[in-house]
Amino acid sequence: MPLSSLKPKMRPHSSLKQEFLKKWIMGLQRCSFSKKNMSILERKKAIKFSADIAMASARNGTTCWSRSLISNASKEGSDIHVVEQILGSESDRPAVENKVPTRRASVCKKIVKRSCRIRRRRRRRKCVASAPSSIAKHLVRKRREVLKSLIPGGEFMNEICLIEETLDYITSLRVQVDVMRSLASASVRASE
Amino acid sequence: MELNAGTAGTGSHETASERKEVAALESLQFTDEIRRLMLAPATDNASSFTALLELPAPQAVQLIHSPDSVKLTAVHAPTPNVDDFKGSFHFPFDSGLIERAARFSLFAGDGNINVNNKSNSLEPTSYNSTANLQKPVKSEPAETESYQALVSDPTVENRSIKRKDREKVKGSTKKNKTAAKDSSDDAEKLPYVHVRARRGQATDSHSLAERARREKINARMKLLQELVPGCSKISGTALVLDEIINHVQSLQRQVEFLSMRLAAVNPRIDVNLDSIFTADSGSLMNSNFSGMVMPMMWPEVQLNGNRQQYPQQSQFGAFQQPVWGREEVCNNYMTPENSLLSYDSSGNSASLHSNQLKMEL
Repeated sequence: MPLSSLKPKMRPHSSLKQEFLKKWIMGLQRCSFSKKNMSILERKKAIKFSADIAMASARNGTTCWSRSLISNASKEGSDIHVVEQILGSESDRPAVENKVPTRRASVCKKIVKRSCRIRRRRRRRKCVASAPSSIAKHLVRKRREVLKSLIPGGEFMNEICLIEETLDYITSLRVQVDVMRSLASASVRASE
Repeated sequence: MELNAGTAGTGSHETASERKEVAALESLQFTDEIRRLMLAPATDNASSFTALLELPAPQAVQLIHSPDSVKLTAVHAPTPNVDDFKGSFHFPFDSGLIERAARFSLFAGDGNINVNNKSNSLEPTSYNSTANLQKPVKSEPAETESYQALVSDPTVENRSIKRKDREKVKGSTKKNKTAAKDSSDDAEKLPYVHVRARRGQATDSHSLAERARREKINARMKLLQELVPGCSKISGTALVLDEIINHVQSLQRQVEFLSMRLAAVNPRIDVNLDSIFTADSGSLMNSNFSGMVMPMMWPEVQLNGNRQQYPQQSQFGAFQQPVWGREEVCNNYMTPENSLLSYDSSGNSASLHSNQLKMEL
């Protein structure tokens, strides 16, 4: 098998790549089946959307970010058939079930966040921390918030979970980028 | 991550779970080794510990240390396993400590001290006692240290060091255990974190729990540092997080850009793919990717030629120009990315892609 000639670190990714590619192509076919003439932006959106969903479904609901990505995608009614196509009717149900608790959880978490923010503002007005450790903590906290905004569904995670999700998300993003890049270069080379 | 994959050699699909399994395996081996190390000088530690207990004045302080770890197990694990506990800590909790505790009537609040050492009963009592004894403990930390310095220094240090190792290890094992929800292997794995108060640090349960949590976070941050290129040299959490954020943002931007590129190149989304999949398998014998793609893409090129009649083609051509311009830019942008990423170059990934397609067909 030619796969054995590759470096060993590629081995765990190759199966993921294959899975991602399969699901992505399924989703793309479903997309193009529905709409005939699309503008370039719509096409791009459809491509990216199906790629994201394929990536998330490749995780099979093991990670938080994939679940929240799928639930966010299935909230919009227009593209839900794409999601179903990629996920398959059986596995879509647990994703749909997760929608409801995340809504409630999101409302609760928003309330908690608001109160925390208010408390933090009061604390900041009271004491401007001059100790280096608290400054460092402040910086880290800010960056952690940024990271939470980047990762889908990151607002609901605690720190440990966030870092694990980041790890997983980065690897899956890399797989996605790699597959898309090879496909793009192939199609570019073909149309030259 | 790559090292773990290499050493473990497992063929699992999910990299995250694979990593966790490897970490679990390593931690298990670690626990076994440490257990062996610990049980060998257990008697020495026992003698030193009981020697500590026989010291008159700060017996309360000494007793704080041992019930602290007991209490922490209550804090960390909802269902502590008594047999585990007995197996791990031979020395203090069997008889000596309990007798002395009963004698010193520190646990006066709770009268039912079983010498059989049921940890369930011990935990609430120790909790009460530590709550009462917080202030005296904090008032004489120096004395503790001095006493520890007097009596069997290296053994205490060894113990604390081993506990430190074990608590790091137990952190990961604990995480795996709670994830698996299976505590059947009592002899091998401990279902909770054993955290020990280190020398010169607060014995507050909250600070100990906080420390365990912090170490978990630090372990995971190390993994992240290994994953993101260029992060291992940076010290400091904020900068590392900066790098990670930049990396994630760049990856997301790349996805956007590539999807735009794909949308621009293909007139329709699935034309490319249909032509790939409808190709005969006879042309797949050559592993050269471009060689494989070219004969399959001919139908698509013909399709392109047909579509020139349509007015949409002008739009497509107009978009083509900025795409090519952008492509050069992105090539420059991506080659340093390629070197940074721990992946192979695009050539190898393209061959991988061809292999994937082969396997699918």
